[in-house]
Amino acid sequence: MTRPQPELVITGLGLVLPCGDGVAAARASLASGQPCFADLPAALGQGRGAACTAFNPAGIIPPMQLRRLDRPSRFAWVAAHQAFLDAGLDPKPAGERIAVAVGTMTGGSEASEAFMRPYLQRGPEGASPMVFPNCVANAASGHLALAFGLKGPSATFVDRENAAFVALEQAARWLRAGLAEVALVIGTDGLFPVLQDLCLGARLLDRHGDPEIGSGRGFLTGEGAQAFLLEPRARAEARGARPWALLRGLAARSSVAPSEAARAESLAAAVLALGAFSPAFRIGGGNGLTRLDAVEARLAAAHPEWPDVIHPKVLWGELAGSGGPLLAAALLQPAGPVLVTAPASSGVQFAAHLEALRPDP
Amino acid sequence: MTASRVVITGLGIVSSLALDREGTWSAMLEGKDGLGPLTRLDLPAEPAQIAGQVPMAPARHQTLCECMALAALEEALDGFRPGGDPARIGLFQGAGTSGLPVAEAYLEERLAGRRGRAAETSYQSPCTVTDALAQRVGSTGPRSTVMNACSSSLLALGQAWERIVTGELDLAVAGGAESLCRTTYAGFSCLKAVDAQKCRPFSRDRAGLNLGEGAVQVLLEPLDRARARGATIYAEVLGYGASMDAHHPTAPHPEGEGAARALAMALRVGGLDAADIDLVSAHGTATPANDGAECLAIRRALGPAADRVSVTSTKSQFGHTLGAAGAFGAAAAILALRAQVVSPTLRLEDPDPLCDLDCTPLQAKERQIRAALVNAFAFGGNNTSLLLKRWGGA
Repeated sequence: MTRPQPELVITGLGLVLPCGDGVAAARASLASGQPCFADLPAALGQGRGAACTAFNPAGIIPPMQLRRLDRPSRFAWVAAHQAFLDAGLDPKPAGERIAVAVGTMTGGSEASEAFMRPYLQRGPEGASPMVFPNCVANAASGHLALAFGLKGPSATFVDRENAAFVALEQAARWLRAGLAEVALVIGTDGLFPVLQDLCLGARLLDRHGDPEIGSGRGFLTGEGAQAFLLEPRARAEARGARPWALLRGLAARSSVAPSEAARAESLAAAVLALGAFSPAFRIGGGNGLTRLDAVEARLAAAHPEWPDVIHPKVLWGELAGSGGPLLAAALLQPAGPVLVTAPASSGVQFAAHLEALRPDP
Repeated sequence: MTASRVVITGLGIVSSLALDREGTWSAMLEGKDGLGPLTRLDLPAEPAQIAGQVPMAPARHQTLCECMALAALEEALDGFRPGGDPARIGLFQGAGTSGLPVAEAYLEERLAGRRGRAAETSYQSPCTVTDALAQRVGSTGPRSTVMNACSSSLLALGQAWERIVTGELDLAVAGGAESLCRTTYAGFSCLKAVDAQKCRPFSRDRAGLNLGEGAVQVLLEPLDRARARGATIYAEVLGYGASMDAHHPTAPHPEGEGAARALAMALRVGGLDAADIDLVSAHGTATPANDGAECLAIRRALGPAADRVSVTSTKSQFGHTLGAAGAFGAAAAILALRAQVVSPTLRLEDPDPLCDLDCTPLQAKERQIRAALVNAFAFGGNNTSLLLKRWGGA
């Protein structure tokens, strides 16, 4: 049996980022190069980070439902809303043919803390049946299904820094297998106190409050969601959609050992698996922590011909969508081939080749 | 891409019944259950004190999930040393609680004003188990850790099938592991979803689930490679289906609408008709909402053929193993296909009229089993069904 491999395009983009909601805010942030780090609100944890303080779900999430959602679900809902609007696609009539793939490093964790804190302090009386359903990582996909009437396949991945890439890969697979016609790919993360406390205790955070690639000082956390509507190019063209980008390739390689050298080799193999091309733009997943930066630096040293790299994580923080911000930054580049390299602290290293299709506004 | 036939060549089980596959299967057929007094967690204020516990203890710096998953993988490998291109070996795991017990301990320490072990806690992400398994088989290929709540590990099996059938991989390890923890125990308890007695799937008086722990790991290979190395073939994987209910954050669609679509998709993808199915290894949680809706879903998907299928629920033996539950259901179906015996649904003495299928009450049942569907449903309205076929040597 031979299966045709349809080209896939991203026709809808929705962004909730520490720099603000929407594409314009993200473009401005990338253009300015100004990091979004500030002292976090006490409710999100101690120290500095990139919180979505301007996040505004008014008019999008009904107030009654807003109360029941954890932060990753709220962000994902608004980002998905933007993406469907951007793509000119009404999801409800086609719900059974729309899949959802989510990548998140923190999904369910904020709710788990909110659930367990009173339970540990007060016992069963402190346990809230309202909070517990959000303790699962796939809470966001369930809320999205309800909000937009999505009834196709769904999966939530938790593969550390690159969970959104795993989600994109799975979504592409469902489309190519004909199990869905459109896939909503989401990267989403929310900050919460224990996360910040853990990162601080594990000495992962940049104590200068200003992460810098190659400094080895560490990263700062961030939050937000990115939504990408993926569909076959022929379908998108037939309905007159204006794609953001063509997904030319997505490759993943892992290493048996978690050493820096082994992970660098895996990332290089992932890039090689994309095939030969000359990127006009490059997005990197370095975050200020040697564990990731060194892997990318080794790769760049072997490719002096590559263009300068943009590092979204030093603007919007680590997490912030578990790889989603890298994909978003790639889509916002002027028309041309974009290479995304996404190192991970363990597990799978990803590389993506996207052909950005919209000219710089 | 050329489609390969996908077969299961290894199966490892660590359960509350036994720490190995054959011990677990024998006990299942004998009508034993692995449910007993809850001792792993000290939760005296919880009304339910029953769980399916695995008598294993993890090594230092290891979670119980990792410990059980590695043991299950070892049994699945059965001495096989995967060779060839390591980039063509993939790992697909479904996770549930995973490192949550470590995180709970950290939070408890912090609430008590102590420092806690932040570095260790931050290391114990759900993909830590996936990485450990990958290291064991020397994989440099794809890995993913799916957290779809209670359908996680069945979807992981589906992912593994996808990669083999398209010829991308030569070997995939798929499965899941789950350990008891306070968050899930307290959570299901506060939802009034836990039965203080041993659970009774499909019964008129069913009152909820019991929680359980364990691990199942499955090896999947292309048929030609499995034959070439003379591997034992347990069953063939034909495909899977997945859907969302878009109905309620925790409750299933009352008429099983979304679940029926997952079942129908699995049949369509696998190219079988409803009449080809002899067994459904059900989600069967014993919650009032699930079992009736699931039986309706089976009827919707299979039509009149539903009256000829056997249905069974592993929850009656192991409790609900959450992230690993789908893999446990798959294991029961794989072994049933091999032995041509359906494991029983225990304590099913007074069937619910809503569950008007042959739910294999009390005793194992010998019968012809040509193909089986496995169900796993989850919070968020996530449904997955896997389609398996008896391996007849052709």
